[in-house]
Formats: sequence, structure tokens, C-alpha cells
Amino acid sequence: MPQDDRRRRFELLALPHLDAAFNLARWLAGNTTDAEDVVQDAYLRAYRYFDAFQGGNFRVWLLTIVRNAFVTWVKENRSGRMMFVPDTPLADSADSEEAMWGSRPRDPESLLLESVDSQMLGRLMEQLPAEYREVLLLREVEDLAYKEIADVTGVPIGTVMSRLSRARLSLRKLWMQQVETEAAHGV
Amino acid sequence: MECERAGGLLSGLVDNALRPLARFRVSRHVAGCHDCAAKLEELRAMQAAIRTKLPYHRAPPGLAARIGAALPREAPPPAARPWFRMPEFSLAGTGLAGALAGVALTALVIGGQSDPTMAVIGSHIRSMQAEHLTDVATSDQHTVKPWLSARLDVSPPVRDLKEAGFPLVGGRLDYVEGHPAAAVVYRRAKHVINLFAWAAAGKTDETFRTERRQGFNIVTWRHDGITYYAVSDVEADQLAEFAKLVAQGG
Repeated sequence: MPQDDRRRRFELLALPHLDAAFNLARWLAGNTTDAEDVVQDAYLRAYRYFDAFQGGNFRVWLLTIVRNAFVTWVKENRSGRMMFVPDTPLADSADSEEAMWGSRPRDPESLLLESVDSQMLGRLMEQLPAEYREVLLLREVEDLAYKEIADVTGVPIGTVMSRLSRARLSLRKLWMQQVETEAAHGV
Repeated sequence: MECERAGGLLSGLVDNALRPLARFRVSRHVAGCHDCAAKLEELRAMQAAIRTKLPYHRAPPGLAARIGAALPREAPPPAARPWFRMPEFSLAGTGLAGALAGVALTALVIGGQSDPTMAVIGSHIRSMQAEHLTDVATSDQHTVKPWLSARLDVSPPVRDLKEAGFPLVGGRLDYVEGHPAAAVVYRRAKHVINLFAWAAAGKTDETFRTERRQGFNIVTWRHDGITYYAVSDVEADQLAEFAKLVAQGG
């Protein structure tokens, strides 16, 4: 009986967030099959450690586990080519932000991402390093606060802020390159 | 403040995540710096683009069942069942959505008293699990309102709050504690907000009351003979903002 209650309580809390969990895993893993495995592993972990949930935002707690399940999955399945390094210095301290902005575009309006379509935005997003993708997703899709993003990703709030800033500038750079490529090909 | 220092904080300004002093300094700099103002505008446009256009990958059908099957399962001892719990509340043989519905209902029955909050949470969850979010799926408020009015004894306000970031998705006929209720469905980014409304004729108005339960935020109020429950997993302050907007329209 206690086991059954525990299980029901878990399902009541965890299943409504299945889409959020899957979306994050799918953006991190890059394909549906792997994302399903990551999410299933995360849910089993969450169920195992359910008693450790101290209240608060269950979605944040669950997304933390999804993220950790993904990191584990990468270590076990992609040892040859590490795609996700949580604290890579490259991602957080390469160029200065001023340099990342680059020279001001001549025609700012044309470079605003307002004109991007969903498919293209998705493709640009896929080109970002995973640690940029995850902060953007947690911020813009899950609408988490910096503190919550820090909890999920296990980095200080200051790092969350600079990483988000750099993620946005990287995405902007990719978009500008895309615009230039299209212009060069007369699209 | 110089551009270089301000540039690193623009992103935080967009997210409204700066401490008051930093926010003040960056805002003051931006007000007097054409270059940084343009950057800020770009960041805001980018944020809007990601929020509205980034493809969202919903969980494939079957994943919930697959997870359910993988969770360790133990059959409950039959003798432990209270007599009033109906057989269909048992987990065995029901889908997960059914099991979820069972939890909400069981909680109500065991509690022995009316708990509309649990009831609307149950309805909110079922609306998303059973892929039965709306009976009438349209962002046109002039379609949703008459559709609901024709089926209910109340006529809750229905407004498309898209401008405020809460686009209308549609309407649904629902039942809360055995009584028919209107469920007006909105979205905030990728999150669903269910606004339940049912008749409370003769009862006095009540101002907003917020609650957090089972990982969901709830705002409830009563106005003009209608009881309202807004339920969602969006942040509490956003749901409060949503409730205010709805109430203003009424």
C-alpha cells in the first residue's frame, strides 16, 4: 500500500512534466530515440530518489535529473566524442562579449531574428554547444529564473548570466552568418 | 558605466535578473547610448523569436506508458482498501491518465469534504494527458464564448490575451466536483493554463487567493456569481498577472 501510494503520488507530480522533460532531452541529445532513453532513465531515477524531493518546484527538480541523466548517458554512450562538457573553459571565457558582438551591422533591421522561421531557428540552435542550448531552453522555453537554472545546471548564478549572454551572442552570430550566406547565394 | 561593462549586463536586463542598482546603472547607460540601445533591442527581438518560434518536441505517444511499465510496481494488498474506494481507482488495467484521475478523485473521497482545488488540478492534468485539451479549439474569443454559453448556465468572460503573452487556445466543457464547469484554455509560452469557471449564484465576491499544490500554481476568486480557478505550472506571479487580466475583462 505505501509503495502504491508513493507511486501514484510520483505519477501525479511527474507525468504532467513529461513534455518539458522530453523537450529538454530531445534538444540535448539531438534525436528522439536517445531522448526517450534519457527521459526514461531520468524518471526511474526521480522515482528512486523521490523521497529526497523536499518540496518546492517539482519541474525544476525533475529537469535537474533529466539533465544529469543526459550527462551520464553521454559518458556511457559517446565516450569517443565528448559533446557535452559542463564547465568547458572554451564556452565561458573565450572572446570578450564586446568582441562577440562584432562590428555593428549596417542594417540592423535585417539582422533581427524577427524574420527567422521555426525550422531555421531550430537548425541554428542545434549548432550551439550543448551548454548554451540548455541555458537558452531553460530560460526561454521553461521560463526558469537564473537561480533555478543555476540549480539545474549546477553552476553559480553569475555563470548562468554570462553563459546566457554568450549563448545569445553565439546564436546571433550564427544567424548573421546565415543571412550572409543567403545573400551570397541570392536567396 | 562604460559600454564594455554594460554590454555584459544587457542579457541580464532582458531577463529582468539584475539587482536594482545594476539595473539602474545599465538602464541609465542604455538611455544615453545609441549603440547599447540597439543591442538591447536585438536581444529582446531574439528572446521573442526563441519563445515563439523554437520548435517544441512533445513527448512521443507511448513514452508515458513505457515509463509506467518500467517503474517498479507492487500490487497493493486488497485488504487495505477502504470500502468506499471504487474498483476502477485501482491502478491495474487502467492507463496512466486514468490512474492520475483516480488519485485526484481518491484524495477527494478520502478527505471526506469538498476540495475544489484538488478537483481542478485533477481536471488540469487530465486535460493535458488525455489529449482532450479543448472541445472547441480556436483563438477566436467570439467563437469560444458562445460555444460555452450554449452549454452552461454561466457565461464567463473569454478574451484573447495574446498581447499580454497569454494566447487563447480554446474552450472545453468540464466537470468539477460533479458540476459542469467552463474550462477556458490559454497558453503561456509552452505551458497550458486552464481557467475553470462555474456558477456560484448568490455568493459574495471574493478577491484573489493564490495557492501552490502538487507542483501547480492556483489562483482563485469569485466575481458576479461565478467562481474562477486558474491552474497552471507557470510561475506564480505570471499566473497572478493572468488572473488580473481575466478579472479586468469580466
